[in-house]
Amino acid sequence: MSQRVEAGAAGHGAEPRGKRTEDGQATYLIAIAEGLWEEMERDERVFMLGEDIGVYGGAFKVTEGFLDRFGSQRVIDTPIAEESIVGMAIGSAMEGFRPIAEFQYADFMTSGFDEISTALARVHYRSGVPLPVVLRGPSGGMVRASSFHSINPEPWFSYAGGIKVICPAFPSDAKGLIKSAIRDDNPCMFLEHKWIYRRIREQVPEEPDFLVPISSAAVKREGDDVSIVTYGAMVHRALEAADALAKEDVSAEVVDLRTVYPFDEETVLGSIQKTSRALVLSESYRFVGIGAEVASTIAEKAFEHLDAPVVRLSPPNVPVPFSPTLEDAFLPSVDDIVGEVQKLSAW
Amino acid sequence: MATTRTREPAEGTSRARFPDDELKRILYLLKLCRYFDERIEALYRQGRLPGAIYSGRGQEGTHVGVVLPLRPDDSLFPTHRDLSAQITKGLDLKRVMAQFWGRIDGYTRGRDGNSHIGDWSGNRTWTVMSHLPIAYPVALGAAQAYRMRGDDKVAMAICGDGATSNGRWHEALNWSAIAKLPVVWVVNNNRYAYSTPNELEFPVPTIAERAAAYAMPGVRVDGSDVLEVEAAAREAVERARSGGGPSLIESVSLRWRGHAGHDPAKYVPKELLDDHMGQKDPVKNFEQRLLGEGVVDEDEVKEIQGRIEREFEEGYEYALASPFPEPADHAKGLWVEDGYWTSEPGRNGPTEYS
Repeated sequence: MSQRVEAGAAGHGAEPRGKRTEDGQATYLIAIAEGLWEEMERDERVFMLGEDIGVYGGAFKVTEGFLDRFGSQRVIDTPIAEESIVGMAIGSAMEGFRPIAEFQYADFMTSGFDEISTALARVHYRSGVPLPVVLRGPSGGMVRASSFHSINPEPWFSYAGGIKVICPAFPSDAKGLIKSAIRDDNPCMFLEHKWIYRRIREQVPEEPDFLVPISSAAVKREGDDVSIVTYGAMVHRALEAADALAKEDVSAEVVDLRTVYPFDEETVLGSIQKTSRALVLSESYRFVGIGAEVASTIAEKAFEHLDAPVVRLSPPNVPVPFSPTLEDAFLPSVDDIVGEVQKLSAW
Repeated sequence: MATTRTREPAEGTSRARFPDDELKRILYLLKLCRYFDERIEALYRQGRLPGAIYSGRGQEGTHVGVVLPLRPDDSLFPTHRDLSAQITKGLDLKRVMAQFWGRIDGYTRGRDGNSHIGDWSGNRTWTVMSHLPIAYPVALGAAQAYRMRGDDKVAMAICGDGATSNGRWHEALNWSAIAKLPVVWVVNNNRYAYSTPNELEFPVPTIAERAAAYAMPGVRVDGSDVLEVEAAAREAVERARSGGGPSLIESVSLRWRGHAGHDPAKYVPKELLDDHMGQKDPVKNFEQRLLGEGVVDEDEVKEIQGRIEREFEEGYEYALASPFPEPADHAKGLWVEDGYWTSEPGRNGPTEYS
C-alpha cells in the first residue's frame, strides 16, 4: 500500500500563499508575508530583491502579490548571482535604503558567503556605517529535500559576528521578528523554517506596531524537571515530547531561543535555575552548532544550579540525507527527546 | 551599442583640456601620491610603521585620472592599492597617516590599518576590504540606490587585473548592464596579480574587450597619461550620469613594486620595469609636459614639492601624537546600538605602544 506523500517534496509549489482564517488564524507563511507587507507600506526605504520573488511570487510564495502592490522598483527580480544580491543590499543600505534580500533557500546563502561574512558583517565595526539589511530564506529539513535544500546555516553566520541571526518557530513570533529585523539598524539574518511554513497556524496580532524583540527568548511551556532549550522546528518536536513526558509525570520546560545570535542568556539561565537540568536541542549540527554555544554558556554560568550534565541533542555533522529512513534517523526525533529528558530527570 | 576600443592619445596641449590652476592641482596630486608612497615604504623598511603596505607606485595616472571627473557626492569603491584615488577623492592626509599608525584619529579608529581605509560619511569612499573584487557588487547597490531615488549620482569601482578572474567581477558587470545602472567599472591593469602575469589571468588579449560580452562600452587606455585616463573616465561618468548605463575602463600600467612591502617582485622582467620607470612614469611625464607647455616653471615645481613634503611631515607628526585606541574598546562598535560610532571615542590610550 502506498502512503500519501506531500506534493512538492521540498515544501514549495505553485499553491497560493493563502489567507488568514475567518477567526484570524494565520500560518507562519502568511504571518511573515504580513510582516513584510506592513513594513513595505510603513517605510518607503524598504525594498526587496531576490530570485523569482516578483512575477513568480517567490519559490514558497512569501512575496506573492508584492510586485503588483509595490512595483518593480521595490520588488526586484534578480539574476542568479548571490554575491551580487548581498552586495547590492549592502550598497543600497549604505545609501540609506533598507533592503530585504530573499534567498530561495538558505542553502544558497553560502553562494554569497564572502559578501555576507566578510563585507556585511564587518562594515560597521570598521567604519561606523550602519547596514540595515535583512537576509531571509527558508532553512531546515524534515521535508525530504536532501542535502542542498535542508541546511541550517545559522552557526556559520553567527560566527561571522556583526549579523543578528533569527530563527522563529511560531507565526506570531515570525511576524513580530521580521518587523523588528527590518526596523533594526544592523544586519539581520532571518531564517524561516520551511517545515513550519504551512503546518503551524495560530492567532496572529494585526496591530501594525506589533513587534517581538530580537535577542529575546520565550518559555513556550512551563515545567519543573528539565529545561529543553531549542529553536526553530525543533520547538514543535520539543512541545510534542513534553506532552508525552507529562503523561509519565515528567515536567519539561520548553525554552524557544527565537534569536540564536546574540541569544537571550538571561531567559535560558533563569529556566536552568528553576529545573537544574538542561537538554539543548538543535537542528544545526552537534559540532560547533548553536547547541554547543548554548550548552557551554549553561555550563559556565549556571554550574552551581545544575544537578546533571548539560546534554546536547543534535544531528551529526554529515550532509542532510534524502531517504526518509536516513533523514528521520539523522534528525532528533520526539522519541529521542523523550529518551534524553528521561535520562536527565533520573539524575 | 557596445564598443571596445583603445583610446588614442588626444591632440593638443594640456591647456586645451584644463585651466592652469587645475593642471597644477593634478600635478600636485600626482606628486603627492608618489611622495607619500615612497616615504611610507621608507618608514616601513626602517621598521617604523606597523602592518603592511601596498604600493600603487607607477599607477598614479590611473588613480588620479579616474577620480577627477567624479563629483563629491559620487561614490568610489577602491582597493588597497588605490590610496592615491582615495586621496584624490579628498581624504585628509593627517587622518590617513593616523590610520597607518593604528591611531584613534585614523578613519577606522584603529580598527583597520594602512590603505584599508575609507570615508563614507565624508568623501563617499568605501572602507577597503581585501577580498577583491568584494566592493564591485556593493557599488552595484549604491548605483541601484541612485536609480531608485532618482539621483544623478554615479558609483565608480576600481579593482586590479587579478580581480577580473573572480566571479563577482562578471556578476557585477552583467547585472549592471541588465539594469543599466549608473556605474563605472575601472580595472587598474598593472599586469600582475601578486606574482601572476596577465597571460595566466585571462585568455583574451585585453580586459576591455570583455565589456562586449556585457553589452557595455569598454575602453583601454594608457595609464601613464593622466589626462587620457581622465578623458576616458569623464566619458564613462557622463554616460552613467545621463542614464546611458555602465562602462568598463581598463587602464594599463605596471606595478613598480611588489604586491606588498615584503615582496621584492623578482618575477617582473627587469626590461619591462626599466621601460615603465623610464618611459611611462605618469608623474614625471606629466611634470615634463607642463614644464614644456609653460604651465609651470621649475620654481613652481619645487614649490609644489616643498608643500607636499611639509604636508607629509605635518601628517606624520599628527599621526604619532594621536593616541592609540583604548584597549577596552576592542569589542565596541559591532552593533549600532552600542553607540561607539555615534560618540567621540576615548582618547586615553597610550601614544607609545609596541
